[in-house]
Amino acid sequence: MSTVNSIEVENLRRVFTRRAPRKLPWRRNGGGKGNGPGTTGSNNGGNNRPKTTVAVDGISFGIQSGEIFGLLGPNGAGKTTTIKILCTLVNPTSGTARVAGYDIVREPAKVRGSMGTVFSGERSLYWKLTGRENLEYFAALYNVEPSKTASRIDSLLCKMDLEAKANELVERYSTGMRQRLAIARALLANPPVVLLDEPTAGLDPQSARNLRDTVRSLRDEGHTILLTTHYMAEADELCDRIAIIDHGRIIALDTPATLKAGLQEMHSLEVEVDRAPDGVLDELRSLPLVRGVESYASDNGLETWTIRVLTEDSRQTLDALLDLLRASGDRVLNMKANEPTLEDVFIALTGKSLRD
Amino acid sequence: MAKLSRWLYSQLRVIGATARKEFIIFTRYPANAVLELIEPLMWLTPLYFMGKAFSAGGHAVGFEGFTGTSDYFSFVMVGAFMSSYIAVAFWGMAYSIEGDMILGVLEPNWVTPANRVSMLLGRSIMFALLTTVQSLGVLLIGALLFNVKVSGDIFIALLIIVPMLIAILGLGLGLAGIVLAIRRAQTAIDMSNWVFSQISGMQFPVTVLPKPLMAVALALPTTYGYDAVRSVLLGTNPLLPMKQEIIILVTSAIVMCIVGRAVFYAFDRRCRRLGTLGGH
Repeated sequence: MSTVNSIEVENLRRVFTRRAPRKLPWRRNGGGKGNGPGTTGSNNGGNNRPKTTVAVDGISFGIQSGEIFGLLGPNGAGKTTTIKILCTLVNPTSGTARVAGYDIVREPAKVRGSMGTVFSGERSLYWKLTGRENLEYFAALYNVEPSKTASRIDSLLCKMDLEAKANELVERYSTGMRQRLAIARALLANPPVVLLDEPTAGLDPQSARNLRDTVRSLRDEGHTILLTTHYMAEADELCDRIAIIDHGRIIALDTPATLKAGLQEMHSLEVEVDRAPDGVLDELRSLPLVRGVESYASDNGLETWTIRVLTEDSRQTLDALLDLLRASGDRVLNMKANEPTLEDVFIALTGKSLRD
Repeated sequence: MAKLSRWLYSQLRVIGATARKEFIIFTRYPANAVLELIEPLMWLTPLYFMGKAFSAGGHAVGFEGFTGTSDYFSFVMVGAFMSSYIAVAFWGMAYSIEGDMILGVLEPNWVTPANRVSMLLGRSIMFALLTTVQSLGVLLIGALLFNVKVSGDIFIALLIIVPMLIAILGLGLGLAGIVLAIRRAQTAIDMSNWVFSQISGMQFPVTVLPKPLMAVALALPTTYGYDAVRSVLLGTNPLLPMKQEIIILVTSAIVMCIVGRAVFYAFDRRCRRLGTLGGH
């Protein structure tokens, strides 16, 4: 892998200032919700001061050519805003970024010509056009040479396994097919850089697996890929390097292996209980040696819940953990100790889960 | 020079691809396409009977005093023909931005290296062509059913329409920028399209307007477009000598294109600064 950076981001910051919608006069006395993290100002009652949200807070990173780089974080962490800044849809409040050597503010057209972008969600295509018609239209917009357009489209349709459906309306495509077509569109001009915003969101497991294979093959062809995801396993499996982002800040950046190696002294305990353990989580977090706790509905169709506890010593935590659960009336159904995962890295860094 | 011709070719390609895309989508809703083509008849038919009710022996005498022609319905028919081009700017160009926002395709279009003005022009040109087909059809039906008589030189009338259309496209660009910023613009577009058409004299001679409104009418290039085309096709009395009206139209075309482009890019920059692009 060469050491040339395809994307360079330096101290990028984006602040959104939005005026909250005015409340109707007869509803002004009601209690308004407080502002979320990273926000200032108020939207209560008649006081319609602008609300400020720091979406991206001074992030810096470089992505080498031919690398798959992941931005991993929960919803609202600033991943999509970073992508929108890099593809020139949103200007940064401060800081700089270069894509393929072009400055995103001073040379936006050249930046757009050097990258393909796949947005999250499936509504980014014309549903009343066929797959081929979509690609023909966007080929003109990406200035693909006319004499090569047809063969380029054919090869991309073949690569994305969409040949058989090429002449069908996109409205008849499955979500996975639409996502593959969106990737084909991003590759029309064979750009050096590809941005993928939550590429597997909403896909079934098989489609998601196929899409990950596609992303890997793009890297093998020499494309530089920046992808955002909130799926730990996906980031772990795909990315050469990962930046963990939370509240607009990068809180860790390294290879998945190195990030996990930092937790070698940690133990991850997974306990399955018979009901949502909301009442006991704060007590678990306050146990000595515990670095993070998360809970979520178990993925087994049995309506049970899983508690993950990251601790510096599972032997010492185990007794206290079981005592607390029994005292709160939760029935322990299953328990196991795991190797630390990227999820544990996130919990250790933030004290909370990606699902929070 | 080679660079310029390459650039020009790529812009024409974007315009062509956008117009083609819009046309294909238009044909994918066949019932809507048919209804859009016959819709003007629905609006015009009551005006035919109204004109008939106000005329004596086929002549609207009072109307003739203002315009020089007693054929009210032909006057309105030509007005409707011209107004459909104003709708191209308001609906074909400006509203298409809101349509893309609703469909979720604005951002994928905006992240391509294509010139945004060329994309908008492609849409408008498709709508302008459809409008021409629609209007010629309506004029033909008008001639067959309502005895509309067009005696002048249609070719000269079409030549007059060209600078007016360019001016309207400039206006459409500016409006597209505004829609980019305000996002929900359907009612505003509907109202401003109607007001623009009416004040330009779609259904009546602007000379009947009170002075403040007439001043507004005379500030709009479309007023001179309507007036010149009617003068050529129907022999009405023009507001100004024809040469002056054409100079006004050509000047307006240049000024409105420059201003419209500047306004569009100003709003585009504002949206990127505020981070509101693509939201709806």
